[in-house]
Amino acid sequence: MLDAKLSRRGFLAGAAGAAAAVGASGYLSFGAWEKAHADEADDEPRFAGHSACGGCYSKCAYSAYVKNGRLGKIVGDKDHAFGVGKPCARGYGWSQMAYSANRLTDPLKRTEDGDFEVISWDQAYQEIGDKIKEIIATSGPQALSLVETGSVSMDFYVQRLFTALGCANMYRHGVACNLARNSGLLQSIGTGDFGADYANAKAVMFIGRSFADGIRPAYVAEVKAARDNGAYLIMVDPRYNSSMGFCDEWLPINPGTDLAFILAMAHVVVRDGLEDKEFIESDTVGFDIWAESLKQYTPEWAEKITGIAAADIERLAKLLAENAPAASIDSGWRAVTGCSYINSGETARAIAAFNGLLGCWNKPGGAILFPAAPAFGKLEDPRFAAPPAVKDKKLGAKEYPVSLYSMVSANFLMEQIQEGNVRGIVFCQSNMVGGYSNPKVLEEILTSAELSVDIEVQMTDTARCCKYVLPDTSFLERDDLPWSFAYAVPCLTLRSQVVDVLHPNTRPVHQIAKELAEACGVGQYFDFTLDELAEAQLNTLGLTLTEMREKGSISYPDKGVDYGAPIKWGTASGKFQFANDDMTKVGLTPDVNWIEPLVMPSGDEFRLIGGKQPIHSQSWTTDNPELIQITHDYDLTRIWMNAARAAELGIADGDEVEVYNDLNTGKVRVKVTERLNPTCIWMPSGYGCNSPDLTNAYGVGLSFMSFVPFQRDPYYGATMSQEALVKVRKVGA
Amino acid sequence: MTRYGMLINAKDCIGCYTCRVSCQRQNDLVPTEAFIRFLDSESGAYPRVKTEVLPVQCMHCKDAPCAKACPTGATYVTDGGIVRVDQGKCIGCKYCMAVCPYGARVVNESTGTVDKCRLCAADLTENGTPNCSCVSACLTGCRMVGDLDDPESEIAKAVLDLNARPLTGDPNAAIYYVR
Repeated sequence: MLDAKLSRRGFLAGAAGAAAAVGASGYLSFGAWEKAHADEADDEPRFAGHSACGGCYSKCAYSAYVKNGRLGKIVGDKDHAFGVGKPCARGYGWSQMAYSANRLTDPLKRTEDGDFEVISWDQAYQEIGDKIKEIIATSGPQALSLVETGSVSMDFYVQRLFTALGCANMYRHGVACNLARNSGLLQSIGTGDFGADYANAKAVMFIGRSFADGIRPAYVAEVKAARDNGAYLIMVDPRYNSSMGFCDEWLPINPGTDLAFILAMAHVVVRDGLEDKEFIESDTVGFDIWAESLKQYTPEWAEKITGIAAADIERLAKLLAENAPAASIDSGWRAVTGCSYINSGETARAIAAFNGLLGCWNKPGGAILFPAAPAFGKLEDPRFAAPPAVKDKKLGAKEYPVSLYSMVSANFLMEQIQEGNVRGIVFCQSNMVGGYSNPKVLEEILTSAELSVDIEVQMTDTARCCKYVLPDTSFLERDDLPWSFAYAVPCLTLRSQVVDVLHPNTRPVHQIAKELAEACGVGQYFDFTLDELAEAQLNTLGLTLTEMREKGSISYPDKGVDYGAPIKWGTASGKFQFANDDMTKVGLTPDVNWIEPLVMPSGDEFRLIGGKQPIHSQSWTTDNPELIQITHDYDLTRIWMNAARAAELGIADGDEVEVYNDLNTGKVRVKVTERLNPTCIWMPSGYGCNSPDLTNAYGVGLSFMSFVPFQRDPYYGATMSQEALVKVRKVGA
Repeated sequence: MTRYGMLINAKDCIGCYTCRVSCQRQNDLVPTEAFIRFLDSESGAYPRVKTEVLPVQCMHCKDAPCAKACPTGATYVTDGGIVRVDQGKCIGCKYCMAVCPYGARVVNESTGTVDKCRLCAADLTENGTPNCSCVSACLTGCRMVGDLDDPESEIAKAVLDLNARPLTGDPNAAIYYVR
């Protein structure tokens, strides 16, 4: 009987099989599953379907192989535009997530003393549903909120639930990621992201972005191709990062001053008349305004601020201009342009504008605007019709009118909860407390919220602050909706369930959203199965679900960037915008000008800067046994300190030190290095988990954000993660 | 005679640990059991710095000292020159660990036996089996596997072209590095 239910799942060709497998496995405990599978014996791993990594948001696709009922090897799927057939370390480590000893296995409710008690799904839905209905009845649906980032079906289902409830307050992690960058770019080029034709470039400048640390496999391959093809690669970063092996030159800029550096390079280009006049004439607005402003930003001015010699600024500006249009400044991501400084958004605009001077947009070797993702057609079946559109805008949209709407500040939302304007919050796979801003403040706000729910796979710092925690299945144990996206080429990909559900009382997020909807009285919008929706979506592209499960990923190389074709700019003016009057709504000038960082180190202070290590996705992966073992083996929680500064402080390599400021004090070992600008301390940004249930991550390393105030930049509301100063002293000295 | 070996172009190694974890998946290893470790170094003075990451694993030595030291014959050498450990025969005495010049051997915490790089990529590549060996998984493609003794093989040519050498100049080692 047991064996029958546990029969190896096999490759599921269609909808019925997937549903049956989820249902059948629901009868077994983890112990029974382990015991049953111990008796099986596969000689060779068996292909179990295409999954897609859950270790970061690139969701790189891979083929999963199961041996003796357990996921073993994974082999990357080449047609995935981000993964290109090469999962990174996180992908291999995170593929074992289903087997984590620290999984959430049952619905939980927080008790008065802060512990959790197991409750039934029925009780959870009843209590949460009743509270949501009460909040809507007394305060309206805008007193609710959602913070989620995750899988495709998660996005679809929980957003649909909130739309059905009439609530517009849906937020993501952009506030602590690339909110300022994407918003700044939106105001310049009409879209929140751009790339580069790295492989054909003659020169590329990276500003605070390291493809070998914040890995997306496609980028690693491209930067290597650029190097192999002879491109001159320049790295502007306070830290000699892991991408330096591919780069020709390191400029250890004073952190927070990148904007001055770019403005001075732009000054040189315009002063010497090296800009692409034809592009500026045909495609842009506001050049004259910016050209006038640029007169003040001389290389000599910038040298004093940035620490980069005026001669180098002159040389590099000319180098990029001479190699244009096969040259560009890379768009950055989180660091520098994303959310780090008060001037991050303006730095993003400056990068776009500098590329505007180069006239390199959609030219071979230049900056590229991504093609459109494959678009699903209209679904005829009325069951899939969207709930009535919500008329309200999300809270914060009014205060941050030039922000990308999808990324409006989640820190602003938390302030609304603090002030009692929002009474209920639901999280999905978003460890806000662990990284969006100061954890202590976020924890205080969240624990005081009237209703807080987290749909999660592990007890994150956020989950432990919530009243209800609902256990999702891991990404390996459930099917997902097809994901349509575009990088250099459009791509369509589908994650399928590849292992049985291990913990019988976990439920896939799409089921949880649907059941919550029923409990809230809006279940009528979910009268379909995930497979029916996936099938309908794929049919509009001439594909079937069966076909897509077999293929996993499809790329569309013939629909990639059309180099040299006229560009349809998505801005208000329909042109590339060197200047934009909308910026004045948040107190900025129409064109990009210098803005001082919020804080600057003096005396024995250091600016605290951070960054990713290639083995972790912020706090998300630090409980993974394979990945945290690397942290231990290589002592990767160490802060980095410049050797000369360390000598001044009497600190030697490997010493234990205390890092401190008004907000936090913590002990950690130090790596004394020549690879860092002396004005800053570099701290890896994902450690310092404060949730005891995550036994592998708990207490390992320092929490970066604990040293950063609960704050927002005045223009976009980003978290300003590197506007913080610390001091360091040797322990026992 | 066939002699399998590997070439690692350390100039392309970004120290991302992908090979370590992919190897754990390919070979069903426990989290603490890593067949590949990394020697990280920096030289120069700020701001003129250079760094190097060297992935190190079993060198599949000719005349392997570990095989000689093994009291049970658990460590053996295949016809292709690959040094392997028969886990069923290993008694966990760790003599092999003591004599390995490269510190390339590790204890499997769950079994107590000793293991190390199996040069699995040689068989997998030859058989065309889909895999996540270090050679397949490397994000920059810095690894190559093949028959060092066949002058026509891709690896033998690359060793010459790129002036690859064993890590310490040890002629017994079958892992060649470009640095």
